[in-house]
Amino acid sequence: MNRPGVTFNGVWKKFRRGERHDSLRDLIPSAVRALVRGRSDELAAEEFWALHDVSFDVAPGEALGIIGPNGAGKSTALKLLTRILKPTRGRCEVRGRVGALIEVAAGFHPDLTGRENVYLQGAIMGMKQAEIARKFEEIVEFAGITEFIDTPVKRYSSGMNARLGFAIAAHLDPDVLLIDEVLSVGDARFQERCVERMHALRASGVLLVFVSHNLTAVLDLCNRAVLIDRGRVRFDGHPAAAIQEYRRVTSNRDAGRPADADIHLAGVEVFDDRGRPVQAIDTGAGLTVRIHYKTSRPIERPHFAVDIHRGDGVYCHGTNTHLARLDLGTIDRDGHIDLVIPHLRLLPGCYSLSVGILDTHAVKPHDVQFHAYPFSVTSTCRDNGLVALEHTWRVPDAQPARLSPVRTDRTDRKVALR
Amino acid sequence: MRTVSVLSARLVADVREMVVEQREYRELLVRITARDLLLRYKQTVMGFGWAIFMPLVNTAVFSVIFTRVAPIETAVPYPLFAYCGLCTWNFFASTQRFAVVSLTSNTSLVTKVYCPREIFPFSAILVSLVDFAVASTVLVGLMAYYRIPVGWPLVFVPVIVAVHVAFTAGVALFLAMANLFYRDIKYLFEIVLAVWMFATSVVYPIERIGGRLGTLLLLNPMTPIIDAYRATLLERQLPAMGPFAAAAAVSVALLAIAWLLFHRAEFQFAENV
Repeated sequence: MNRPGVTFNGVWKKFRRGERHDSLRDLIPSAVRALVRGRSDELAAEEFWALHDVSFDVAPGEALGIIGPNGAGKSTALKLLTRILKPTRGRCEVRGRVGALIEVAAGFHPDLTGRENVYLQGAIMGMKQAEIARKFEEIVEFAGITEFIDTPVKRYSSGMNARLGFAIAAHLDPDVLLIDEVLSVGDARFQERCVERMHALRASGVLLVFVSHNLTAVLDLCNRAVLIDRGRVRFDGHPAAAIQEYRRVTSNRDAGRPADADIHLAGVEVFDDRGRPVQAIDTGAGLTVRIHYKTSRPIERPHFAVDIHRGDGVYCHGTNTHLARLDLGTIDRDGHIDLVIPHLRLLPGCYSLSVGILDTHAVKPHDVQFHAYPFSVTSTCRDNGLVALEHTWRVPDAQPARLSPVRTDRTDRKVALR
Repeated sequence: MRTVSVLSARLVADVREMVVEQREYRELLVRITARDLLLRYKQTVMGFGWAIFMPLVNTAVFSVIFTRVAPIETAVPYPLFAYCGLCTWNFFASTQRFAVVSLTSNTSLVTKVYCPREIFPFSAILVSLVDFAVASTVLVGLMAYYRIPVGWPLVFVPVIVAVHVAFTAGVALFLAMANLFYRDIKYLFEIVLAVWMFATSVVYPIERIGGRLGTLLLLNPMTPIIDAYRATLLERQLPAMGPFAAAAAVSVALLAIAWLLFHRAEFQFAENV
């Protein structure tokens, strides 16, 4: 047996749009057509490439996130890995015992009890009877449905159903775990336990492939991410960078250019203190946002704006040159403007910058790019919330030396109550 | 020459994969069969009684027809003749009824989870085999009632069952696959089954048809199989070796071809359900 791993080598997958002929009546004409034309790799009228020459490898211990817009081919890639689909061209291979958290309750039969379904679903996932019997209590306990285990599954709530399915899959002891957007089931506490479980599996050396729209979860769980867009790999690398690229791809597509193109945004760059482009920034570190613009005629006293949103949409900060009472005069040629943030007091997470050029009164936009620059904030600071407020704990009549102040700037990131 | 060796290498690889997968997933086959049996008899009054009920009612009906309305000569008392034919035919027919929808009624499994898809038609066979075993107990009872002595040809029964299962499995694999791509197969096959039963020695000896049609009907592999059951169980004779050997050869070939085709088409199932 080889080392566990995932190989995707030049994989192409063809799908057909529209209705498929289902009736014998249509068989004969289509069979004749197939005979005449022969099997080919060319696309027929109604066909399209769901995956277009996709290649990546995943080594043991890695956690790969697959991100991309809806219909980009993420789930197709995962289905190829689980062998449900076969590539039209190319080779895809998974070595080792595969656990798939895709439609975790697919094998459930509504008329069977929870207990019967655990054994059935376990067998579907490739577990031996003895193994299921051994883990049975643990599974039921994890799902939190001990008192309903002998009730037919048709009487379960959808949450219970999904929880039981996830619990079985999570106890599979796989070498390779494929996950497709299952974290959205159950209540907050159950989700937390799922994430915990996945972290534990990852720590024990299980290879993870994680497909999700939850970018924060990808950032949290994965050490690498692949961005798939319209069936092609657009990016393969650090999750924060992949998310950035993803945001860039989607925002460019969504944001229609305003009619007023006399002045428009020509790009956004973010640098750290030393002038290097960054995608991951430490809490408390300094950064510079550089907004490039192009003009086709002189623009009188425009204003520039920058907004920061967290991955979940929380509006963290917004500022503009109007608020700063900055008069930029008349701009008559291409150039750039910098926003310098000496200390980025944001807690770890996934954020994005939106930038805009506004008119003289900072009301009407000349050009706006939402989520133009996604970035992640990293830190060893374990505080909760959104902002890293500088703080110190002071205990009356105690030795203040025992408590070191929590400082969140770069020079002293090893903060904790020691 | 090279194409031949490439093709045969692919054949060997496929066959190995088919066997390895069935071994790997044997527990799933058992589980799915257990599920189907459980579902079939959950919330029913008669439970396994249904396995006996249908051939018994049919036996009664045909006994009236062929002993009173249009009496025919049979080597053993007619009810015994008919029940033996009906319960063996029933195994074949009920397997096909389950197998034809076995892939389409397990859509969520076929499209969402990987497992060798043969499991679904195979479990249809196993479920019907259990029913067949239950129904055979009545045959034993009838044999005792009519005081039919048994003899050494009984040792041949396992071979007949094996051929019977092989033929049934071959047809089942074809049907399950065909119905996945073309849903009208299910309705078409109901009609075929009804005609097929009367083209087989189920409720009357097929020789009685005679003529050119009779010769044509000799091509039906189900007839030698059912006749072989009657010969060994009821008449203390070996089956007619020529027709039975031919039926056995056809059954094995059919199963091999059907399984190989099924295995190669398997990957298209998820896209075509």
